[in-house]
Amino acid sequence: MTINILYFGMLAEISQQAKESLSGKENMTVRDLKQQLCEKYPEMCERKFKVAVNQQIGDDTTIIPLSAEIALLPPFAGG
Amino acid sequence: MDKLHKPRKVFVSGAISPQFVADSIAKHQSKVDIGAHAIFLGQIRADEKTEGFVTGIEYSAYEEMAEQTFHEIREDAFSKFDLICMHIYHSIGVVPTGEISLFVFVSSAHRRTAFEASEYIVEQIKTKVPIFGKELIGPAGEYIWKENK
Repeated sequence: MTINILYFGMLAEISQQAKESLSGKENMTVRDLKQQLCEKYPEMCERKFKVAVNQQIGDDTTIIPLSAEIALLPPFAGG
Repeated sequence: MDKLHKPRKVFVSGAISPQFVADSIAKHQSKVDIGAHAIFLGQIRADEKTEGFVTGIEYSAYEEMAEQTFHEIREDAFSKFDLICMHIYHSIGVVPTGEISLFVFVSSAHRRTAFEASEYIVEQIKTKVPIFGKELIGPAGEYIWKENK
């Protein structure tokens, strides 16, 4: 399945793009996706970030549904 | 009416002007059940880094999620505190040092509710809303990604 990923802040700098589509396996978890991203962008693994699945913060066990919008969120700095 | 709690636009391009804050206060003069306003203003500090002084912050956000999160924070605060009015504005884009990037404005019948709600809302914004900031340093375009403590 296709996973649509949005990158923000320093993570967009590492991936050198604001968004991209990757192919992933069905029922993959956030942990699986992180592993896939670490292989593609080793520098990303060294960064702290949260993963939003359809605009909800997920944890490592969150299953990524079909056509989900994934966002990689570096530490928040609002205020 | 504020009690319908409609989602509101929070993001403002660039700094929030003192005039905007003043106008917001003035708009509440007709609401005579209000006895207390609490206002929190976040201002950009000229922190000193090893590369030099911070000259401003460039904010970006996952805007759709951020607007939704602001809405949830508003709903949550209305349910926790006996508020008459609540307004939240946050900058997007560049805000120079000394200028305002966050404006939280709550109104209630009595002071304690307003004090407590404003603190609660600001803390929620700091930890839950996906807003990112580049601290801009010096004239050469250097920057550091900011992280809320």
